[in-house]
Amino acid sequence: MTAYALTNIYKEFQGRRVLDISLLTVAAGKVYSLIGPNGAGKTTLLNILAFLSEPSGGSLFFAGRPVRFSQAHLQSLRKSVILVNQHPILFSSSVFNNIAFGLKTRKIPAKKRASIIEQALDQVGMSRFIHTDARYLSGGETRRIAIARALACDPEVLLLDEPTADLDLESRNAVEAIIADIAAHGRMTLIFCTHDHDQAARLTSDVICLQDGRLTDYIDENIFRGDVINKDHRYFCRVAKNIHIPVPGTDRENIRISIHPKSIKIVDTATLASRIESASDVFRGKVICIADASADIRVRVDIGIALQLVMDKSEYMARPMRIGDPVDMRIDADAVTCLEDLNHP
Amino acid sequence: MSFFTDGLISAFRLMASLDAELLGIISVSLKISLMATLIAGSVGIPAGVLIALREFAFKRIVITILNTLLSVPTVVIGLFVYAFIARRGLFGAFDLLYTPNAIIIGQIILITPIVATFTLSAVSRIDPRYRSTALTLGASEFQTALVIIREARFGIIAAIVAAFGRVISEIGISMMLGGNIKGFTRTMTTAMALEYDKGAFSLAMALGIILLGLSLTLNVLLQYFQGKVSQ
Repeated sequence: MTAYALTNIYKEFQGRRVLDISLLTVAAGKVYSLIGPNGAGKTTLLNILAFLSEPSGGSLFFAGRPVRFSQAHLQSLRKSVILVNQHPILFSSSVFNNIAFGLKTRKIPAKKRASIIEQALDQVGMSRFIHTDARYLSGGETRRIAIARALACDPEVLLLDEPTADLDLESRNAVEAIIADIAAHGRMTLIFCTHDHDQAARLTSDVICLQDGRLTDYIDENIFRGDVINKDHRYFCRVAKNIHIPVPGTDRENIRISIHPKSIKIVDTATLASRIESASDVFRGKVICIADASADIRVRVDIGIALQLVMDKSEYMARPMRIGDPVDMRIDADAVTCLEDLNHP
Repeated sequence: MSFFTDGLISAFRLMASLDAELLGIISVSLKISLMATLIAGSVGIPAGVLIALREFAFKRIVITILNTLLSVPTVVIGLFVYAFIARRGLFGAFDLLYTPNAIIIGQIILITPIVATFTLSAVSRIDPRYRSTALTLGASEFQTALVIIREARFGIIAAIVAAFGRVISEIGISMMLGGNIKGFTRTMTTAMALEYDKGAFSLAMALGIILLGLSLTLNVLLQYFQGKVSQ
């Protein structure tokens, strides 16, 4: 069963194309992470999927039916999909009334509302706030109440725009637990935006990557900026003091680079012992984070800057690591991509 | 100075004795002003909300016209309405001239732009996320508009208070369209003008004090609601 099917969907603002998707299908009942840097078009896509914004062109199908962006048609569609903004807003009323709003628009009888509201608040661990004035909640509490407000309506699709951005650890864990719970029960389709690759990998294996408004297989990671220096006819980007990353030849003085996390290779210190000090493409660091990402293992290493590595599980099992272990890594110039510099075109 | 203090003492005596003529004038003033405010509110609030929320051709021009109407002198409105409701006018057959209804019509024209522009301004300041949140929760356009009106309620109440303050204190329309008929169309402001002409300051001063008291009350209310808006 397909929740959404998008064909040649694009969105333009003042002549600038901010979203351009040739083909995207979203299966019903699955959890997807939507990853991409700032300005990739994630929020624009979510607004289209929530039927709050009309695409400039292309066709959108929801539950197998074409979507017509007319008011009468949209209101019934919106009852199936709820978007929780990155910075959600609650109506200036009690938490109870906020959650009751969506139930009223769905004509749920007043008798049933109270139990649904209590259940939704219980799901997000906010039961004690049921009669609190929504204006006096913190950012994290507001986010959780907004999610409860959406869950109470039991939509077919729930869209969460960066649900854990700017949250403290406790609120972040609570929101992640809600997503994990939805994923485990498969009772609705869920798409959540995030910048955090670790979080996306933790919560789902279904990933939609968006960059510059287009779907991609891969999102740039390990992005740095620095001056270009030339040493013995080899080019390096000085990303921090004493950290010079080898880069492909360039005639620019200052560049933005991305280091592919799968192309960073752990090297055996023993075999390189004689040349480790002099090798300009080998960096010594300390493991600071290890995360399971379905088929891969994501390892964060501090070399003075934090670098993200992605290893096959088999590769990791052959050379297991623990947090705090020292590691040596090789970064070839081939692993580095010079990115378009938006600030210095 | 004794002329002023004597007038003031007489005015307080009139108020304390609940003078029938004084109470009659206040009653006529309040009835006319409240009716005008009620009708202007029921027209101006929806108009302000619609203009704020809808995108349409010539929206900027409509807002400019509304802003211009805020500063139209009351005598111009009096003259304009007179031309329509006088015996020889288009609506002469309705025999409206020199009736409370004539004053109400003129005052509605005076304050509808006030209510509409204040409402427009209050609704425009409301965070656009309220609209998108209501829509994503399945609200119709009408339910969404109610959510926005609710969020802008203090600004809209401030619009009503300001409009009422404007009509209770205006004189041009009341004089030109009401004719200052005792017990029928004599309002506080027209009565004050008449008493001044007669050189009888007691009633004029009593009415002035009441008008000032009303104005003070309205401004306290306005400050309270504007304070709520900025919270």
